[in-house]
Amino acid sequence: MNSKQKSVILIGIILIAAVLAWWLISGGEILSKDGIWIEQEVSELDKALGLEPQKVYQEKFILVLVPHAAVFSGAILVISTVLFFIFRTKK
Amino acid sequence: MKTIIQTFILLLVAVTFTLAQGFKVKASGEQTFNFEDKRNQLKFFSTTPLEDITGISNAVKGKVTLNVSDIKSMKGSISIPVSSIKTAIDLRDEHLQSENWLDAESYPEITFAIKSVSDIKVAADNKIEAMVTGDFTVKGVTKETIADVSITYLDASEQTKQFAPGDLLGVQAKFNILLSEFNVENMIVGQKVADNIEITATLRGSNAK
Repeated sequence: MNSKQKSVILIGIILIAAVLAWWLISGGEILSKDGIWIEQEVSELDKALGLEPQKVYQEKFILVLVPHAAVFSGAILVISTVLFFIFRTKK
Repeated sequence: MKTIIQTFILLLVAVTFTLAQGFKVKASGEQTFNFEDKRNQLKFFSTTPLEDITGISNAVKGKVTLNVSDIKSMKGSISIPVSSIKTAIDLRDEHLQSENWLDAESYPEITFAIKSVSDIKVAADNKIEAMVTGDFTVKGVTKETIADVSITYLDASEQTKQFAPGDLLGVQAKFNILLSEFNVENMIVGQKVADNIEITATLRGSNAK
């Protein structure tokens, strides 16, 4: 690994860390879900009562990233990988 | 003179009776429906470009009284404990109950108290659509709110027994509120949580005593 490649990796890590820090500050933890809502099928009685479908809670952990954080991190990773190969020492 | 007064009263009664809009079902007179059942649901929906949030409470309490033949006579209230609202994120539920949001400790309940019924449309013998005006109270602030409501009356039958004994009243209601009007203001309102919250009630009540 040459110095340019080291710089690319370092800058990439710093940028991804910055994006993740921004994600945490903007509520990353709170966006990860502990459960999901599942829409119930309407029973015949509820149809007769003119009621709409209801939702029921189901426990399920889902890690949610702010969409921008995922896109930026992905873009940085792709650019870093491309630059890493461009800057490789040719024999 | 006596005949004129009698005729006038009779006409007044006839006009009132004709104008009264209600259900054409087996039941008659004043009926009280209890909505305290865990299958009933109040849903809060917020949508922003960042995310959609659904908050649900299944701890609905309340009673509604109405004269079967006159829906305008409807009175009563529906409430939920703030602590019962779940958003599928435990930490967010904690924040929701904090002082910055709904302040569950100081204002433990959210309530809708019916004041009047207008724009009545008889959709079927046992179904009425109307606008229900009521006092909606959140975080100690009460605002007059109009809900778009559909009410269906089912006489007691084998089918209604699945839910509860007695006649059943199905209520599907929808209305919107602005959080800022109820002193729920912080930097997240308008960003991740919309100021405009859509509230949907899906309720079944029984008149069994």
